[in-house]
Amino acid sequence: MEKKKITIALAGNPNVGKTTLFNAITGARQHVGNWPGVTVEKKTGKRTYKDTEIEVVDLPGTYSLTAYSLDEVVARDYVVEEIPDVVVQIVDATNLERNLYLTTQLMELGSKVVIALNMWDLAESRGDKIDTRKMEDFLEIPVVKTVANRAEGIDALLEEVVREVDKGEHHEHEVSYGDDIEKKIIELEGIVGKDSALSGKYPVRWLSVKLLDGDENILEKIEGSSVATQVNSVLSTIKKDDYEAAMAEKRYETINTVLPQICVKCVNEVTFSDMIDRAVTNKYLGIPIFLAMMWAAFEVTFTVATPLMEFVDMFFGWLAGVVAQSITNPVLGSLLGDGIIAGVGSVMIFLPNILLLFLMISLLEDSGYMARAAFVMDKLMYKIGLNGGSFIPLLMGFGCNVPAIMATRTIEDEKERLVTILVNPFISCGARLPVYLMLAGAFFGRNAGTVIFGIYILGIIVAILSAKLIRGTVVKGKPSPFIMELPPYRLPTLKASAIHMWEKGSIYLKKAGTIILAGVVFVWLLSAIPAPGVDAAFASEEILGTEDSLIGVLGHIIEPLVAPLGFDWKVAVALVFGFIAKEIVIGSMGVLYGTGEDEDALAEILTAGAMTPLTALGLMVFTLLYVPCIACVGVVKKETGSWKWTLFMMVYGTALAWIAAFLIYRIGTAIGWGL
Amino acid sequence: MANTNKMIFAMVAGILYVVFGILKMLEGFGIETGLAESLLIPGDFFGGFCFVVIGAVFLYAVKELSAGVHMGVSYVYVGILMSLVFMAVYLLVMGADLLMFYAVKSEDYEGWRIIDSMRPGIYLGLLSLIGYFYWKDRFTTEMTKV
Repeated sequence: MEKKKITIALAGNPNVGKTTLFNAITGARQHVGNWPGVTVEKKTGKRTYKDTEIEVVDLPGTYSLTAYSLDEVVARDYVVEEIPDVVVQIVDATNLERNLYLTTQLMELGSKVVIALNMWDLAESRGDKIDTRKMEDFLEIPVVKTVANRAEGIDALLEEVVREVDKGEHHEHEVSYGDDIEKKIIELEGIVGKDSALSGKYPVRWLSVKLLDGDENILEKIEGSSVATQVNSVLSTIKKDDYEAAMAEKRYETINTVLPQICVKCVNEVTFSDMIDRAVTNKYLGIPIFLAMMWAAFEVTFTVATPLMEFVDMFFGWLAGVVAQSITNPVLGSLLGDGIIAGVGSVMIFLPNILLLFLMISLLEDSGYMARAAFVMDKLMYKIGLNGGSFIPLLMGFGCNVPAIMATRTIEDEKERLVTILVNPFISCGARLPVYLMLAGAFFGRNAGTVIFGIYILGIIVAILSAKLIRGTVVKGKPSPFIMELPPYRLPTLKASAIHMWEKGSIYLKKAGTIILAGVVFVWLLSAIPAPGVDAAFASEEILGTEDSLIGVLGHIIEPLVAPLGFDWKVAVALVFGFIAKEIVIGSMGVLYGTGEDEDALAEILTAGAMTPLTALGLMVFTLLYVPCIACVGVVKKETGSWKWTLFMMVYGTALAWIAAFLIYRIGTAIGWGL
Repeated sequence: MANTNKMIFAMVAGILYVVFGILKMLEGFGIETGLAESLLIPGDFFGGFCFVVIGAVFLYAVKELSAGVHMGVSYVYVGILMSLVFMAVYLLVMGADLLMFYAVKSEDYEGWRIIDSMRPGIYLGLLSLIGYFYWKDRFTTEMTKV
């Protein structure tokens, strides 16, 4: 006898054990591919149960069936268009309220549904008593208890699936949306029902509900139909956002009416995470709390690092002393003392700041707070044409823009991803910190921390405004909605955070020993070679870092470009070499001003007349905004796949930096501030 | 009754943090308040802003609790946590000052005394510390809905 063939689709929220259940049903007989036309993974498998051959299709994990993301469109299109014999929804028994939201949507779609009540053992162990019989009665859907990771309840589930297929009758379910919305639904049903192509393919009530929900995918389908004008005329009479929110509320109302009757003893324990979330995601307090937490992180980074920086300074001072005493060859002594120790030492002195900054970021990430920060910023991000999903890669930019730009791969919308990449370099990375610390420490005394914090805030503001500008002009489009699961808060362990800190901090150390070392040696070499026509020995004291060196000649060639900003040729040279790595700006200044690794001596020279507070502020802002380092440029090219956008990012940033530094210098001079 | 205690606590803490925050901001702008020395308040605009935020969190708790919203206790809890975070930050700063004085022997720290590094964030944090240990787990158990 030939076996009966059926197809079932596994649907469910992310992290409910869907893949585990899929594996438990299909065993090793799986095929992994992509859904047609998209890069979303499609898994199918086969299982023979009694006399039925079952094809199992694993749908992407989704919270709803409104087309907010590609995953949801894929899942929904499959259910609507391929019409599986049964949709098995895997419901997390420990989080019924959220999971039943998807159930209401599947019910509206008119699908035959069987619920796999997964992880019910966990729910029971914490005191929940779910009455599956009542659940079946209320929802009119078969419910089977499963524990997917122990393969418990699989046969019972398949038994129920086969029974559901054989059952002829099928109940249509409706959520009642209240008088006003129901009137609109009926009106739209009347219109959509006239189009036989649409009404033949989709449930008419479901189409009407989705239209009022503002579902872009359905709106597109309607646009090509014979009833587009009439539908648009109805939709023009409603406020889409209000309807969408009201309809979601009604679905939750329905769930919350059913829920207490399903649960014989349902304990909704308020956790510390719930309590913290209530405050940190508050619409008025969320952003100020985020700013306060960031300020605390920066205060530790800048203030607590001070004695540690002194220790590093002492070490390099001692090393310079040893080199000066031991090396008799003047050229080698100058290379080691004025080049390597001066250049690398002036960068290494900021290692404590860098490590502490990474430690603070790791603590915030490991605690689970960063996910809330993304959630809180979503509304603001939406206004600038992005969504909260872009916020985490931007935040990561505080550490290093290179991994931050790579992290944009999680952003599904290509346009949003491009804009996030283009503005990421404005988020001040750790490599720029030494420049701020040195200049702010020299010129702004006890307000140094405030000035540096202000520079970081400026970076965020510029990134936001640039995103808004780019999104409104060259990369037009509507931002996609942001859905993410907030992990529970955890007390971060010092060990785990220290490991994360070291993983990132060691990159800085490696950079100091390679690219920065090479950069400062190159700067020293150029500063040690006499300029054409100058009669002096290589690396002699009279030419080292002066206008009579080759670097002096180069500096004077580019000086006119930065002279309107109040910068001299030495700053010009330092900025050019900063393209290799931002830390080299300070390393180069140490070499060019002949102060070696001694930060205090460099600060003394600068404050004695080489710079003013105004030019120092201008230089900090310029360093923040101008072309990022070569590694960052490389990753922008790689991730955008376009030289056009890479060049745009470089030119746009440098132009912005020049204008900002120019305005600071000119306006400051005009009002007589910081001269 | 339990919420009344928390509401009184939040009101006191909220007012203190907002007032101290404003004083820090004013001092940061260079406006002499006359209280800087006696209350050990440094001029610090952003630090002051953070205090105002903590105060606002406590006062939001008062707003919700007085309206009968039990979950308003969340704001008391978060206010306490934030003030403890800031207390830890200022204690770390004090530790750094100690190192500068004893280990680095920096010239800038000549004549430094521990009281020079005492900040409102530390002594106001003590109030939160008491609140934290007094309520601790009761924050969630009293909130649990059946």
